[in-house]
Amino acid sequence: MTNLMRLPGARLVLHAVIVVVLYLALMWFVGGADPLTMSNIALAAMYATAMFGMVILVGLSGQVSLGNGALMAIGAYTLALTSLNWQTVPIIGVPMNGWWAMVFALIGGIVFGLIIGGLGARLKGPYLAGLTLGIAVGIPAIANRFPDLFGGETGLLLTVPFPEGGYEPAVDEGAETGTEAVTDGTTEGTTDEALPTEGEGAGETLAPDDLLTIDDLSGDGTASELPTEGEGAGETLAPDDLLTIDDLNADGTSTDAPTDVATDVPTDVSTDVPVPDVPVDTLPPSTDQADPGFLIEYWQASLAILVACLVGFVALNLVRGRQGSVWRAVRDDPVAAAVSGISPAWSKVSAFMISSVFAALAGGVFAQLLAYVGPGAFPLGLSLSLLVGVVLGGRSSLVGAIIGAVIIVWLPELVRSAAEGRGWDEQVTNNMPNLLYGLLVVLVVLIAPGGIVGSIKSLSAKVTKRAGSPG
Amino acid sequence: MLTITDLSVNYGPVHALAHVSIEVPRGEVTAVIGANGAGKSTLMRTLAGLVKPLTGEATLDGVKITGHKAEDIVRMGVALVPEGRSTIPELTVEENLRLGGMWRSRTDRAATVTEVFDMFPVLGERRSMGAATLSGGERQQLAIGRALMCDPQCLLLDEPSLGLAPLIVTQILQLVKRLATEQNLAVLLVEQNAVTALRVASQGVVLNLGQVVMAGPAQEIASHDELRHAYLGY
Amino acid sequence: MTNFIEYLLGGLGSGAIIALMALALVLTWRATRVVNFAQVGQAMFTTFIALSIQDLTGNWFLALAGAIVAGAALGVVVQYLVLRPVKRADTSGAIIATFGVLIALQAGAGMIWGGDQQAYPQPFNSAGISAFGREWPISVYDLVVIGVTLALVVGLSLVFTRTNLGLSMRATAFNPEVARLSGVRVSRTLTIGWAIAGIVGAVAGVLVAPISTLSPNSFDILLVFAFTAAVIGGLDSLVGAVALGVGTGLVISLVTGYSDSSNAPVVALVLLALNLLLKPDGVFGHTSSRSV
Repeated sequence: MTNLMRLPGARLVLHAVIVVVLYLALMWFVGGADPLTMSNIALAAMYATAMFGMVILVGLSGQVSLGNGALMAIGAYTLALTSLNWQTVPIIGVPMNGWWAMVFALIGGIVFGLIIGGLGARLKGPYLAGLTLGIAVGIPAIANRFPDLFGGETGLLLTVPFPEGGYEPAVDEGAETGTEAVTDGTTEGTTDEALPTEGEGAGETLAPDDLLTIDDLSGDGTASELPTEGEGAGETLAPDDLLTIDDLNADGTSTDAPTDVATDVPTDVSTDVPVPDVPVDTLPPSTDQADPGFLIEYWQASLAILVACLVGFVALNLVRGRQGSVWRAVRDDPVAAAVSGISPAWSKVSAFMISSVFAALAGGVFAQLLAYVGPGAFPLGLSLSLLVGVVLGGRSSLVGAIIGAVIIVWLPELVRSAAEGRGWDEQVTNNMPNLLYGLLVVLVVLIAPGGIVGSIKSLSAKVTKRAGSPG
Repeated sequence: MLTITDLSVNYGPVHALAHVSIEVPRGEVTAVIGANGAGKSTLMRTLAGLVKPLTGEATLDGVKITGHKAEDIVRMGVALVPEGRSTIPELTVEENLRLGGMWRSRTDRAATVTEVFDMFPVLGERRSMGAATLSGGERQQLAIGRALMCDPQCLLLDEPSLGLAPLIVTQILQLVKRLATEQNLAVLLVEQNAVTALRVASQGVVLNLGQVVMAGPAQEIASHDELRHAYLGY
Repeated sequence: MTNFIEYLLGGLGSGAIIALMALALVLTWRATRVVNFAQVGQAMFTTFIALSIQDLTGNWFLALAGAIVAGAALGVVVQYLVLRPVKRADTSGAIIATFGVLIALQAGAGMIWGGDQQAYPQPFNSAGISAFGREWPISVYDLVVIGVTLALVVGLSLVFTRTNLGLSMRATAFNPEVARLSGVRVSRTLTIGWAIAGIVGAVAGVLVAPISTLSPNSFDILLVFAFTAAVIGGLDSLVGAVALGVGTGLVISLVTGYSDSSNAPVVALVLLALNLLLKPDGVFGHTSSRSV
């Protein structure tokens, strides 16, 4: 780890400038965007955060892992558990808030990254992929196993505020709403979780089930159909889709909405949960007395972008620095690397640990975006989509990770709009994104292992070579 | 007769072989000698179909073999005993043998198995043991035996002496010479160990940096002092 | 103690299915040094095909035959179109490609047959057998599953040890270059290996479907169990895959019996992790393949 920090100052400044410019550009863009776009950007930034780790792990270090979705779950649960159970930060004694919870998510990432990385560093190729596959499948089972601690299938609702906003601390009625809704949802016997988000137009149900069976952006459809600000509570979101989870916030900004909606929630949930794909606004728009200056999507996007940029800065320095060469050297020729004094084992463990820290932070952001943590939010499909994104974008490129994150978030929407008016069967439309992911991944591996970024690089290299010296 | 005409092979920008022409008559051993990196193994792998030539061709008794796949070339009668441990240690001795020449009839193969066991009695004794239990010399015998199972007209031997004791090397090379005359095989022998190779060969070819620098009777090459100093380093 | 024996007996049937799926993984590994993570996806897909045949004809055996044909075909297609062109040096690429195939197959099945759980008809009596004055936790169907598994294992062992094809497949697995130089048509041999694995997986799919249900994702957990069994068995060993597959089934049955079925994946994971740590080459493995 000592060599991680031995960077020439100039490069550090350059990277800082790149990241700050990117941050400002994104924030400027988000400032002018509509709530749906804000939510999508928040999701894309969250994916990018996790995928930076995948670039280091899969691309540079050459370890194919499916465990990063599970590591996101570890980050998210750590955040939820520490923020729910601790009023103050241990030892330091200051009041707990969202930022401190993120710090604990980070620590959780380090600890589990070391454990799994230590296991994984001994393993090659398919063995590591298989073990991490088991972890990805097993982690939700563990959450179910200890329902008292992890909230079981239902999951945990986040209540801890960020200092500068986010959702408000649970108001009494809001909290009741939460429990009621949850109980209601579960007694309905659906496998999907019903949960409200507190203080922001509660009474919505969402059930993250499987990221890769994205099937209901259509449910809420396009931005035009989206509930606009102040439209009020009672929005029911289609389950099964993480990508729409953020939509639940589309209508809600209000800090005092709970009172309005508390009464409506139970009926709402019970009627709408079993109908996953056709969410209907069952409630008339309620009067929303929110501060019109505060948009939850904007706050979510800010948080996700900030974390992504901080993580991106660290990743940039690692990838382009000495440590990046060390990882590449071990990936390409472990024996030669060992001979020149690099420890292959430590190189692999460090890649694993860093990627798991990134994943845990992404998981923390994810939890904040959902205001919820549950096993259904971290299925095998999440890990697979991280892999898909990184492979499509470019296995060993940070820019590729960003491109991959954008693809993962927007491809389903593109499919939706393509399907619209063509009379595609719902079943076809729902599965089309995954079919495309699968086929594209295979094609990329066969034709352009460098992904989009790698292809552009080699293409431009050819062009410049041809231009520079014929033959 | 194996005829190699104007054969060139590139590894990327590197010319591994440049315009190599060699004739390998039947019934005798032709030795290709040269230092490390002279292109000897490339020549053998190209003839066996593992490497594609850039230009040129090789024919066996007038039939073109270059351009075919390795598994077809061996069916056409050119069998390579590759460099190093070319037996499969996870299989038994007999399985290693039976791997060769599966396209041949059951009776033909059984006859060859008996022949090989007569030739190398040690293999017969250990037929059902794992090939991993064999010594280096025995493995080389097994590799040659497997090539013979393919009923070759032309035998390509890549550095059979590698890692073997001098006495065993002499034994194996004497046997190769006997095979060539008895079965009228065209044998192409690649060796770094020039002295030993030239002792059993009737023709010699000196390869340097992918080019033939001299070809002629083995005796002549063995006694050519300048050549020895320049290319063979002894 | 009675409980213990009951749980063990109850685990035999599912153990046999895990063994079959592990066997399929081992077959592709032996053929091409690729763990085919798409194997359960292929099995799921062919089981859906079987279900369609079943719905059309009502004949369980015809459906099984259809699955076998489809399994072989799908194995050939995946190997020929996807795995064969992957550059040999790109080991990550091969793993990633199999996951790509898995994702595509699951989405494709969802498109054609929908994402809902579907019941697969139960051709034999699945109630516990009554004998010696009591009911046993093992059914006629379990016996059929065990019998089919045994037959496949014995048949495959004979193919591998007694036939030219089997020798070609083993030689190709260990050293493809030497196999080619001996005249073995290597790429055809590899494809045949995948076809056989596809058949074994397809049979496993049709056998497991009546016990679980059938949906695009319903075999995911089977992949974890089968991978665990295959790896602990040594990945190269047919016997190991079968023994450990059955063993995994028994352990899962015990865990489920004494505690809760939700513990099963966790136990499998712990077993896998312990094995990888303590005995990295598997119980039946004999080469240091894991570091190649």
